[in-house]
Formats: sequence, structure tokens, C-alpha cells
Amino acid sequence: MLGFLAPTSGPKGSTHRAPGIWAWIVLSPLLVWLLLFVVAPTLVLTAVSFAERDSLGRIVWNFSVQNYARAFDWVWVKILLDSLYYAFLTTLICLALGYPAAYFIGKAPERWRGLLLLLVMVPFLTSFLIRTYAWINILSKEGFLNSLLISAGIFNEPVAMLYSPFAIILGLVYNFLPFMILPIYTSVEKLDNGLVEAAHDLGAGPLRAFSRVILPLTRPGIVAGSMLVFVPSIAMFAITTLMGGGTNPTIGEVIFKQFTAGRNQPFGAALGTILLFVFILAFWLARTQRERED
Amino acid sequence: MKKIHRLLLALFAVGLAVSATAAPTKNLNIYCWSEYIPQPIIDQFSKETGVKVTVENYASNEEMLSKLAAGGGEYDIIQPSEYVIEALVKEKVLHPLERSKIPNLKNIDPQFLNQPFDPGNKFSVPFMAGTVGIVVNTDLVKDDIRSYADVFKPANKGKIVVLDDAREIVTWALLANGLNINQITDKSLNKIKPTLEQWLPLVKVYDSDSPKTALLNGDVAIGVVWGGEGAILANKNKKFRWVIPSEGTHLFIDSLAIPKTAKNVENAEAFMNFILRPEISKQISDEFPYLNPNLAARELMSKKQLENPASFPAEEELKKMTLFKDIGTKGSDVEELITTLKAQ
Repeated sequence: MLGFLAPTSGPKGSTHRAPGIWAWIVLSPLLVWLLLFVVAPTLVLTAVSFAERDSLGRIVWNFSVQNYARAFDWVWVKILLDSLYYAFLTTLICLALGYPAAYFIGKAPERWRGLLLLLVMVPFLTSFLIRTYAWINILSKEGFLNSLLISAGIFNEPVAMLYSPFAIILGLVYNFLPFMILPIYTSVEKLDNGLVEAAHDLGAGPLRAFSRVILPLTRPGIVAGSMLVFVPSIAMFAITTLMGGGTNPTIGEVIFKQFTAGRNQPFGAALGTILLFVFILAFWLARTQRERED
Repeated sequence: MKKIHRLLLALFAVGLAVSATAAPTKNLNIYCWSEYIPQPIIDQFSKETGVKVTVENYASNEEMLSKLAAGGGEYDIIQPSEYVIEALVKEKVLHPLERSKIPNLKNIDPQFLNQPFDPGNKFSVPFMAGTVGIVVNTDLVKDDIRSYADVFKPANKGKIVVLDDAREIVTWALLANGLNINQITDKSLNKIKPTLEQWLPLVKVYDSDSPKTALLNGDVAIGVVWGGEGAILANKNKKFRWVIPSEGTHLFIDSLAIPKTAKNVENAEAFMNFILRPEISKQISDEFPYLNPNLAARELMSKKQLENPASFPAEEELKKMTLFKDIGTKGSDVEELITTLKAQ
């Protein structure tokens, strides 16, 4: 774990050297933070996942693996797969929308970039819940969008847009798009125009120049952005309940409900631990993929 | 580096000093439902008594219970529903009340006192009561809806909002099958499964916090919701009609109680007595129109308030309603049943 956190210079196999004592000292606040607020809670969660509970929901420290046995019932696996599917779709759409936007901002005249980036961030100065409720007002049957489309003569009667898979994806994409735009923007900004021009000079068409030069050079941004969108959208349940109507349970929601209404913290903890392993697996896959390509 | 070291030490010292000095004598920590005790009432209590009140909110009984069970937070007042009081009394985690400190308990309608969950009200005083029923948007639904069976018909697919609460949904299915709502066993859950399999795919929205939103926005036309929500809808627009399901429903009594770990018991009892004052209780009803068990407060309320059937069910209907009993670890099974059917 700690070796993974240590500052390294360059990818594995190149001039890899052990971090000096100063690096550790500079890192120490971060390490303490991680130990206290990431490692310790994770260990507690894992310990709880092997416990039992009493009728009031209090944890009883009897070792048991029944929570894990139950967690692999098809219901919970299906809910996890559904959540992964929504997260995957969200990442894909964010990438399709975010890449051109980030590219455009990165290639815009320098004096415009700050303003354009600010515009990406402005909606996020208000609270997440207020923005979500704003979407409810826009999408509802007596809402803004329906009345606009009806008065424009496009629809004859209100269309159900809210409380649907469409609304869930819209809410997720809207909330996570900046997390895709910002890392890609950073990559695009660093992109050496000379290399793109060289590709053109050597006879590459726009498509070829994009796929062989621009895309590989901005890949770090794409990978970072995709992780930043994919991981949080798996467990994001506020949007699926508020905008999706809660008809399709997501893994974040069922974990929350086990901790509350189910009075079953150990089972919730087991589901949480499994989810954590899925995250680690996704991260590891992305990392080994990168290493193999390097 | 040394400088940073000193700076950190200094910060640590400041932190210690701040936490040591912040201990005034008159405090009250309230852990209550969101949207249930209006802020002006808390402010007035602070003003009258000089007690510094801290309020934390929860959205479900179980959320409160899990925090209490985990030993988190030193709360002086909690606001559980009847079946949770029952569990807390059974587990001996409530502080017995000194009745002489709460004389205003005399204002409460006797039919809400001395209930099986807390015989003799040794540990709790009623705050508000209420029920769950059906709201129909009569502009959009022309059928005569009288029962759960009328609500959950294929014709109403995509028009229904229900509480996002597994125990509630299971209760309605038990009632529709003529079963006891407090006998939750594997057998009874298996028996109602076919009913739920028909019902749940018809539901458009699950929402416990504000089911009125989907009804007001026109996204759904029928709701199975809390009485207080129904009362607000009926006040907003006459097209919303409140119906007590013919199969029956349950009555909830939300009460105030003091956990054994409370540090400020006297202030907590003073707050209970304050809440039971007629004019204070009326103010709560003005904002959150549930069934007010305070008879003296009802005398101050308008005819319109008292005649709202979603707030105050008719006497004979009230008599037919049952209270929830604690179901302990069965709660997890109920949760799993509903989650399984939703995920299908």
C-alpha cells in the first residue's frame, strides 16, 4: 500500500529510485490523512463485514462469513452490474461530450481559456441538491421543458422525461462532465502543436493525425477523466433516487439502506467491501493496461 | 522543518484550548426528524430558558437508531416512532421521565397515552401522530379509488408514487391480503410476494422525503403517502382527494424521549413540557399538518385545519388503525424482499 503511494520518478523499469527521507517527510501530512480517514475506516468496515448484529442493529462481534455468502446472491450481483452499466454509459457519454469541449478550450486563444474553464465550473458553485432539484423542475410534466416544447408546437401533450433511465443518465452526465473536461484540458494544453503539424506535413489526414498523434498524447487526460467519472458514478445514488424515481436500485442505495432501514450494518459493510474490491480491480486493470502499452 | 514542527504544535495547542473552554452549562442536543420541529419554536425555547440548543436531523427511524446504537452523539432528546420506542424500552436505553416536570402532558388526548409500546408513558411523550393513506389527483384519475387494490391496477401503471419505505409497502400488501401487519414471518412474506410482484412494476416513483413533489408536478396522479403530505396537497389544490384505504392502514405516534446517555435531562424535560404547550403545539401543526394529539392545541386551531381529513381521520377510522410493533432483525428481510422485487 505504502509503496504504491510513494513518489516515484517515471514509469516502472526506467530510472526507478527509492524515495528519499525528505520525500516521506513532505508527504507525511497526506499519509497521516490517508491512514486516519481512508485506511482506518476501510479496516473498520472490513472488520464489521465479518460481524453479526442484534435486533436493535448493534454490532455483535461474532466472526461470520454469512454476509459474504448472502452478498453473492443474484439480486445483489445484478444491482452491482446495473450500477456498473450506468457508470460505464455515463463515462462514455462524458468522454464523447467532454473531449471536444476540452480540446476546443485547450486550443482557444490563451486569454479566453480562463473564462471558458470558469464557465465549465460555474454551475458547480451551487449545491448539488439545488442543481438536482432544478433539473426536476425542468424535466417534470408541468415543468419548463415540456411547456416550452408544447408552446412551440413540437409536442401536443406533456412527455414523461423525469423518473426514467434517460433522466438518470442526464443527471449523472451533467454532474460529472467537468471531471472529464478538466483532466483532458490539461493534456490538450500541453499538446505540442509542432507534432500535429509534423503529422500533417508527413501526409496524415485529419483522422489519422487525430488517432495516431493527438489521441495518444492526450491519453493520460482521458484515463484520468474516465476514472474520475466512472468511480464516483457507480455509487452515486442521490441522482438515481431523485431523478430516476428510485425504481432501479443501485449499489450505493442498497448499501445505504442496509445501514439504516435494514438495521444490518455488517451486511452493508460486506457489500461495501466488495464494491471497494471492484474499484481496486478497475484501477489495477487500467494500470496494467497502461504499463503493457508503455 | 523545525518551524513547521512548531507551527503544528501551536495549532494543536490552540485546538486543545478551544475544546477545553467551550463548555457552557446550559445545553440541549436534539436529534429529531427533518421537517418536523419548526426553527422559530427552537429559537423561542432558547430565548425563554437561555439554553443553547443544537439540532441534528434524521430522515428515518432506523437512521436515528443506527447512530444511537453505534454510541455516536450525546443526544438529550430523540423523536422515535412507536415501534422504535418499544425496542428502546425493551433494550433499556431510555431515561425514565419525571412526570412532575412535564405537567403539560395533561393536554394530550388520553387515546394517545398509555399505549402498549410504553405503558404509563414512563419514557415518552407524544409529539405528533398520523397515518398513511391514498392521495388521488381527481383531474387525472376519474376512477373511484378506495383501496390499495384500486391503486395498484395495471391501468395506473406509471402514475403512482409510493413511500420509499420497505416496511410500509409490505404493510399495505399484508393488509390487502387480510394479514396481520405485525406478524412478519417468512410465511407471511412468501404469501404477499405475488401481490408485490404485481404492484411494484406499476410504481413510477419511490419517495419518502417529499412524495408531494411528483404529485404537484403532474408526473404521477396517485400516491400512497404520509397524512401530513396529503394534508398539504389538499390545502394547495382541491383536485387532490385524500382516501383512507378500505383494507385499513396503520397509525403512527411519534414521541419525544430521553436516551440514558443524555447529559442534560432537566433541559430535555423542560423542552418536552414546552412542546406540549397549546400555542406551541398549534404552531407546529400550522407548519406540518399531522394529527395533533394535543387537545388544548386543537382548540386553538382553525376549522379548516381540523376538518382536513388527511390530518384528522374520522373517529371510527382511527379506531380501526393499528400501531407498528418492532420487528427486530426481520427488517433486513423486508428490505431484501422489496429490493429484490424492485431489481427484477
